[in-house]
Parts: sequence; C-alpha cells; structure tokens
Amino acid sequence: MRKLIEEKDPMEVVGCARGHSCEELIHNLPRHCKFYPALIQHINKIPEVILRNSGTPIAKKVNRMMREISKESYRAMQFTRTEINNRGVLFGIVSLKHKVMDRVLNYFHKRWPECIICLYNEHTHKTSTIDEKGIIHKIDSPLKTVVEKASKNRPLIPYFDDIQFSGKEIFETLYSSQFISERENQKYFKKMIPEKCYELPGMRSGIEKRFRNKKINDYF
Amino acid sequence: MPSTLEKIRVLGENSKYDICASTASSRTDKYPKLFGDTNSWIGNTASAGICHSYTPDGRCMSLFKTLYTNKCIYNCKYCFTHSCKRKMSFTPEEYARTFMKLYSMNVVEGVFISSAVCGSADKTTEEMLEAIRLLRFKYNFQGYVHFKCLPGVSQYLLKEAISLSDRISINTEASSKDYLAEIADQKDFNNDIITRQRWLKQIRLKHNDEALKVMKDFKQDNTLEYQGKMIKERREDGYKKFRWDGAPILNSGQTTQFVVGAAESESDYDLLKRIDWGYREIDLRRAYFSSFIPIEGTPLAGKQAASLAREHRLYQTDWLLRIYHYKLKDLEEIFNEEGNLPKGDPKMHLASEYFKDRNLVDPNQASYRELLLVPGIGPISAKRIINLRAKKFVFKRRQDLKSVGVVLKRAEPYLLINGHNQTTLNKYFDIISDNVSQREIV
Repeated sequence: MRKLIEEKDPMEVVGCARGHSCEELIHNLPRHCKFYPALIQHINKIPEVILRNSGTPIAKKVNRMMREISKESYRAMQFTRTEINNRGVLFGIVSLKHKVMDRVLNYFHKRWPECIICLYNEHTHKTSTIDEKGIIHKIDSPLKTVVEKASKNRPLIPYFDDIQFSGKEIFETLYSSQFISERENQKYFKKMIPEKCYELPGMRSGIEKRFRNKKINDYF
Repeated sequence: MPSTLEKIRVLGENSKYDICASTASSRTDKYPKLFGDTNSWIGNTASAGICHSYTPDGRCMSLFKTLYTNKCIYNCKYCFTHSCKRKMSFTPEEYARTFMKLYSMNVVEGVFISSAVCGSADKTTEEMLEAIRLLRFKYNFQGYVHFKCLPGVSQYLLKEAISLSDRISINTEASSKDYLAEIADQKDFNNDIITRQRWLKQIRLKHNDEALKVMKDFKQDNTLEYQGKMIKERREDGYKKFRWDGAPILNSGQTTQFVVGAAESESDYDLLKRIDWGYREIDLRRAYFSSFIPIEGTPLAGKQAASLAREHRLYQTDWLLRIYHYKLKDLEEIFNEEGNLPKGDPKMHLASEYFKDRNLVDPNQASYRELLLVPGIGPISAKRIINLRAKKFVFKRRQDLKSVGVVLKRAEPYLLINGHNQTTLNKYFDIISDNVSQREIV
C-alpha cells in the first residue's frame, strides 16, 4: 500500500470510502468506555488511509472501538421497548456501556418531538431526559420518579390517552402470526438476534426468546 | 364479534406471505414542505430502515403487517384466505389505534397495509385509505407506510394512496396472463394488474412535473403574502394536490411480488423477463419473490412446495439486473433448457461462461463493465478501481485490490494481477483431463 500512503486519500474520490475519517474518529471515540486521551494523539500521527483500512494494530483497535459504539447505539434504537403515558411522556430502560445516550435520546426525540423522553440507564443507574426543545438532562433519580415529575405540569393529550391499553399481548400475537414454520431457519435467526441482545432490558422478557429456546420435543 | 387480538392473529397470519424487506424511505428535504414544518408530527423514517425484531426464519419484522380484511371475492388457488374459515375485518379506527400503540412501544417501524377484496376493490381500498388517513391526520403519523393496492382499483384511489404512502405495490403474482389464469383465473392480468402498474408510474411522474412547476413559482415570487396564500390553498385542498405532509414530490416507488413455483412450468426466465420489463417500463423499484408453499384446504394443497434455493437464485439474478444494470440478454446463456437458473451463484456461472474463451481481466486496463463481470467485484469496488486508476495508481498486489473492497477469494481466478493469474483447482483438473485424452489419442 506504499503508493496509497503517499497520496492524500484516493478513496475519497469515490465518495464511499471504507472506515471513518480522522474527524469522525476524534469526534466519536471519546464515547467509548475504554477511551483514553492519548489515543487521539496516536490517531493524529497515522495517515487517514491506514486508519480507514485497518492497516496497523492501532487502526484496527480504533475501528473496533467505533464499531462497538455504533453497534451499541443501533441495538438500543432497535430493541429498547418503551411506553407512553397520556401526558405525552415516553419512557423506557436501556443498558448503555458507552456514552451514546444522546444518540438514542435524539432518535426517540425525532419520532416523538412533542413528548418528553425519559430513559433509565441500568449501567450508570441514571435517568436521562430530552424535552420538546431537544435539551438533554441527566438526573440521579429512578425512572418512576422522573416520569411522575415530568408528567406533573403537562396537559392530558387526547391521542395519547386514546392508546392507553396494554400492547405487549398485541405485539406477541402479531409476532407469532408472522412466523412461517416451513421457512424456519434458526441459524439465521440467531445471527440476526445474537445471544447478547437478549440481555438488553427490552428483550429480556421478549417473545423472541421463546422462539429461540426450543425444546427437543418441538423438533418432532 | 372477534376481539382486536383475534383479528391480529387471524389477519396477521393471512398476510404472512406478503413480503416487504425494507422500511427505508427516500424522502427528500430538497423542497420546503408547504404545510410548514411543524413539531406536531409523530414518527420518523430512518434512511436505511430499522429492524425492531426478527422472526424465527430470520426475516426482519418491523412493520404492522396484517390484512385489513380476509373476506374475498376472488378464489386464488394458492391463497391462504381461500382456506381460512374465520372471516373478519378491522375498522379504520381500530387499525390506526392498534398501530399507534405498537409504534409507541418501539416494536414496529411502520405500516404494511394489504387486504383481500371484500365486495369490490374500490370499497375495500376506501376503507384502507380511511385507516391511513386517520394515521396521518388524526394521529399525525409521519413514519413509513407501505400501501398494497388491490387489483382492479380505480385511478382516483391510486392517486390518493400514492400521496399518502412511502411505498406502493401491486402483486403481479405470475409473469404472464396464462400463468396467472392458471392460479387465479378471476383476475384479468392486463387490465387489473399491468394497467394499474402503468397508472402508478404516470400519476407519480405527472404529479412531480406539476409540483416542480409550482415550486418554481414559489421560489421566484418569494413574498410572505404569496407563500401564506399558497399554504392556505394547500391546506384547504389537502394532500390531494401534493403529498400528505405538504412535500411537493411524491417519492413512493412501486414494487411487486411474485409467487414462485405455483404455476406449472413457469420458469425463472419468465419471471425475470417480467421484472426486466418492470424496470424499463413502470419504474419498478424492486421485486419480491415468495416461494410457493402448499396450504391445506386450498386447491393447490397437493402441489409440491417450491425450493427456497430457487427464490434465493432469483433474488441474486434480480440484483444483477437492478444494481449491476445487466441486460437480460447478457444473462441468457446461464439459463438451462427449461429456462431455469442453475444451482449456485448466477454471477459465478456468468463469469465461467464469459471467460471460457476470453482473456482474463487486468484491473489496470479493464473497463467498468468488464470489471463488473468479475465475481467479487461489485459496482462500488469497480468505481474505486476506475477512480484510483484516474489518479495514476497501479494495482500490483492482491492487497491493493483487497483494500478497495474486492473479494479476492472469488475474483482471483478471473484476474491478472501484475501479469499473474491464480490457477484454480478446476483448471488443474482440466489440464489433467486434457493430458489424459491426449495420451488416449496417442
């Protein structure tokens, strides 16, 4: 790759280069739980093309860290199960090791811009909220208290009041109805929802687990 | 009166063979929304879609996918609703409320609304549209909606459906009139399906042309008074003139679905020919294939199920047509006598046929089209190679190609890297068999 190193960044001409740019790394790596400031100095010394292609052990390491960060936030967006009360407060539990709470909160904020979002992080035992203006607060109280406090001065919103019924059973029925037994593919299923996803708060009591842990009798 | 839960169970099960893979929406922010940007909308679409769950067959389950009703005037031989004894329908209010509940739980990303034809296509579509209208205007839902149009539906309803949804589709089911008659004799292939597909394209193009003209005026006469008047007019006319959220451009592309293996002697070539026509003539975004599975109680219950491998090969070949922009005639040589695809990756077959009597590809000289013929080189890596060559970069080592995303395991037998080619085991066997036959001749 000598020639590639000499040039500035030939990949960028395609507009679809692999890996992350230096700016992205500097911006996002501090989110990782094992981040240390000296890492940024290391990154600044390495040409971007090596970083993009995991050309050295340190480049491999930073790319792995970036992957862990984005994976955690994406999993949280996928598998966090939430509830909404009739005052327009959306709440749920997450388990985030890295500092990606802002990403997850913003994801929910874009979906429910008029609501207050409260997410309790099991890992840090803190509740984070995002209000209608998109301002994030960190509170050292349990989720229930934060939700009660946030709901206090808010009016009753008719269409949120309209959907105040238990939805767990509805989802379980919908999920079971979609399964085509002739196409069952446990290997693929396990690849799409790996074991560690069942440790996420939203998935612990999820119906998916019941389909995964089949008894030997189910096969006959 | 069945409960909502019972309806979800029965109507969800009836719709499980309908396929929709992605929840991504191609909405553009290029033009201002004429209703004005407001915070009261609920929901959003992610550019690549998000899967909130997966079924035990590994498929993404992110949409509230049920039929609206399973009461049907048609008796398609392969269809689930044919055998389902329990007939029921949602009400628009019930449908919208149930979906919003699921959306608030973050278990679904959007709606996939399909239906059997109860009474007439127009009557059922009216009710389905009412459910979507409630979602859009009562619950202010801004997220993903896939609307499945019914065969034979009127043009004005298609127009409304297209302006309310992110994706729209009509199931073609079979590749031609004769094959459709074999499995669904009550449906008119040309009138009920093909004409409607053409309408979908025309409605979208006509609308977008008109909308762009209006947007031009909007920019030129940029006075607040004029814009205010226009927004008022828009609100009064509602979404019927533009998209439901006030965006001028209709982005809902159309897709279609085929039942693979239900019609006797329908070949892969027939299906791909119909898809190729779709890409050329009706702006088809993509096609879905659903392998035929015999369902008890239907006239085709005794027929053998189509193999999932066939479905997979069709998807692979469709990828070559849609993403690689191959022409169907380029692929003709890999089909067998019955017009079916052989086992294995179609691109590998194509490459082995193509390079039989041609020189191997030198990445430093080959054109974009030639690079695309090599297995392991896709459009992105081919573009990277071309761009690097334009910058006077010379590919001399395997790693150089690997770093631009080429899958060397598949590509190497067809590439000349620095003047050398990696010989495959097959080639070695060919040499041995040549030697043996030469000895026999001697």
